[in-house]
Amino acid sequence: MSIRKIIDWAIQDQKSEMKGNIASPFYQYQDTAGSWVWACDVDLGGGEENSVLRSVPVASNNRDVVYAEQGKGVSLSRMGSGKWAITGLSKTLNSTVRMTLVTFEDDVFQISSSRMVGNIFRPLSYGELGTLIAPYGYGVLPYGLQGKFDPDGNLIGIVES
Amino acid sequence: MRYIAASFQDVLDSRRRRLAYKIYAWDPGTVTISQVASATSNLSPSIPMPMDLTPYASEISWSDKQLSFTMVDPRNLFHPDTGAYRNYLGDGAILRLVEGDEMLSEDDWVTSFTGQIHGQVGWKKARNTGEITARVSVFGRGETQAFKRRKITTREYSVGTDLGIALYDICETFMGLTKAEVRIPFTLGRQFKHKVNQLSQVSPWEAITSLLEVVCYQPYFDGEGKLTYVNKSLQRPPAKLLTDYVSCMELEVPEHSQDGINKVKVVFLDAVLSRVDGPYQKLGDAQVTTGFFSMHETLPCWWSEDHKQRADGTTMQVIKSVNSGILPVGEEGYSQIDEFHGEIEVEISVWVPILATVMALEYVAAAFIPDETTSESFGVQNVTTLPSGGTVHVHSVIIPTAVSEVPGTGLTIPWGRVLQAQAMLGIMLIQMSIGSAQYEVWGTPYDYAYLEKMSIAMEDGLDYWLENEKEIKNDFIGTHDQADTIAVTELVWEKSMTRIRRIVIEDDPSLEVGDIVGIPDGRKILITGLSKKIKRGEVPSLVIDGCKVMTP
Repeated sequence: MSIRKIIDWAIQDQKSEMKGNIASPFYQYQDTAGSWVWACDVDLGGGEENSVLRSVPVASNNRDVVYAEQGKGVSLSRMGSGKWAITGLSKTLNSTVRMTLVTFEDDVFQISSSRMVGNIFRPLSYGELGTLIAPYGYGVLPYGLQGKFDPDGNLIGIVES
Repeated sequence: MRYIAASFQDVLDSRRRRLAYKIYAWDPGTVTISQVASATSNLSPSIPMPMDLTPYASEISWSDKQLSFTMVDPRNLFHPDTGAYRNYLGDGAILRLVEGDEMLSEDDWVTSFTGQIHGQVGWKKARNTGEITARVSVFGRGETQAFKRRKITTREYSVGTDLGIALYDICETFMGLTKAEVRIPFTLGRQFKHKVNQLSQVSPWEAITSLLEVVCYQPYFDGEGKLTYVNKSLQRPPAKLLTDYVSCMELEVPEHSQDGINKVKVVFLDAVLSRVDGPYQKLGDAQVTTGFFSMHETLPCWWSEDHKQRADGTTMQVIKSVNSGILPVGEEGYSQIDEFHGEIEVEISVWVPILATVMALEYVAAAFIPDETTSESFGVQNVTTLPSGGTVHVHSVIIPTAVSEVPGTGLTIPWGRVLQAQAMLGIMLIQMSIGSAQYEVWGTPYDYAYLEKMSIAMEDGLDYWLENEKEIKNDFIGTHDQADTIAVTELVWEKSMTRIRRIVIEDDPSLEVGDIVGIPDGRKILITGLSKKIKRGEVPSLVIDGCKVMTP
C-alpha cells in the first residue's frame, strides 16, 4: 500500500460534501441547546443496509428545501464539528447499486452472485393504486402518492408526504 | 511486450548473449525529449547526435522507473559548474539506455529506458585521492511532476465521441506528446455518453488515467519514452513462458503485511437525465371577472412564479364557475401548452353580447314610442266641501263604477314604458350574470436529475467490519455492465496485488511492466516492476517484481 493511496484515503475521509436522498418528511428537531431547527433523515445510498443519516438539520439559508419531497436529492456539507447539514438540492440522485460477489480460492476467482440493491422513489400509477393497495382499491389513496420500490419494481412502502 | 528484432530474439533464445549497452545523453537546450522519443532511432538525423556516456558510466542500476549510474570523469568534462559537457547532465538532460548484443548491429538493439535528470547531479572530488565521482539519477517520463500537478480544463466533447480522441487531445495539448509518442489505440471503443463532456480541474495524468479506466487500462511510459498502457484484465496469455527452471535463478514470496482491498465500488452518473416526479399537487390558480362585455378570456397559468417548474398530467378544477350566475353564459376549458404552463379558456356565448346590445337598442327605441291615449277613461267627480272656517278644499275622488267619456283626460299605461321595462329586465339579467370565476390547475410536478449509479464487487462472505474498500468515481462509464466489468476487474487486480511474487531470471529486454510470465508449475506472474544491475561483460539478472495472476 503506497503512501499515495493512504493520502488519497485521508483526503477522501476529509471530504466536505455528500449527496443523499430525502428519506423522511421534514420535521422540527430540537438540539441540545433547546433550539428548534428543521431537519429530516437522509439516505446516503451506496448499497449499505443501514445508510440513513438521522436528523440532518437544514442550513439556515436554505429553508426552501423543506418543501422538497421524499426521494429528492440533497447535498450535504460537513460543519466544523463534524456534523452534516443540508445545504441545498442536488442535481444527482442516489440510485440503484449492482452488487457482485466474487469468491477467491488459490489462484482462481469466480463470480458467485450478482443482484441489484437500492430503492426507487416514484408516484404510484393508476394501476398500482388499484391493485397494490389491496383491499382498498381506487379512491383511498390519492393519485400522485409516492411509493418506495426495490430495483425489481416491488413496492416496499408508501412514502409519507 | 516490447518489440525486439528477430536477430536479437535469436541471440536471447540461444542463451549466448554478449552484453552490449550504451548510455546516450542529449543537451536539453538543443532538443526536447519529445523529439528524441519521436525519432526513429537514437542516431537519426532529425535529432542532434547524442553524447555517448558509456565510457564514463559504471555501477548501472536500471529499473522501469529510474536509471542511475556512477560517472567517473577524471577530466571534469561533466562538472556542473565548469565542465565543457555539463549540459548533458544538467537539469532536464535527456538520457537513454540502449541494450543489445556485441554481435548485432545497433539498429537491432533495444532502447530500454528514456528519461530526464531532474535537478542537478551530485558531484564529489576527494582531496586525498583526487578521485572525481558523480552519481547520476535519471527518471522516466512517468515521473514528470508537471503531468501530475498542473490542473487543466479540456475542450468540450459531444456525445458519441470516442474517449480515445479526448485522450490524444490531452496528450498533444497538455503533455506535449506527438502522435508518434502515444502507443494507445486511437479509438478505445467507448464513447462519451453525456451530451457535453469536459475534463476540468484535473491534472493531465489524472485525465488520461480516468479515460483509460473505462477500458481497464492504466497509463505508463515504456522504455522508449512512449505513452502506452497496462491492461488490468489479467485474462490474457503469458508474454513469456518459462518451460523449465534453467533460466530462473530465484523464486521468492516476499513478506506482505498489509490488508488488501476486498471491496471495489464504482460510481458513475447515468448518462440520461431521469425524471423525478413530485407528489400530485396544486400547481397554480387563476381567476377572472367576465360577462357580456367579454367574448373570450385566456388565462395563462404557470406552475411557478419563475416559470421554470415542469409538470405533467395537469387538469383544471373549477372552484367557481363562470356559469354560477342566473344564466349559463359561457364555456370553460383548459389545455396544457407546454411542460411549464397551461391556459384556461373562458368563452362567453355569442348570444349574450347580442342580447345585451339588442336590449339596449330596444330600450332606446322604446323611448321614442309615443304614448297613446283614448277617449274612454275613468270618471272623476269633484267634491267641494266648505268647512266652518271658510277655507275651500277641493278633492278628486275616483268612482270606479262611474265611467264617463271625458275627452283628453283619464289614466294611461304607455306602451313604450312597458317595452322599456322589458328591455331593462333583459339588460339587468345579463348584468346579473356577470361574475368572477376561479380555477385551480393540479398536476404532477417533476424535474430531471442525474442518477448516481453504482456497481460494487466484493469478496463473498465478507463481514461488514472486514471490508476494506476502494472507490472509483468515473463519469465516463455509461452503463451498469461497463461498471460491473471495471469493478470485478479492479477487485481481481487488487486481490492479485496482495499475492506478490519476485522472480529472478536471465535478462530478457523484451519484457515490460504489465506482461505476464508463466512459470513451469503453471502459475502466472504479472510484472509490476523490473530492475537489474548492468555490468560490463556480464549478462545481467532481471529481477521481476510482480504478483500472482488470478484466473476465472
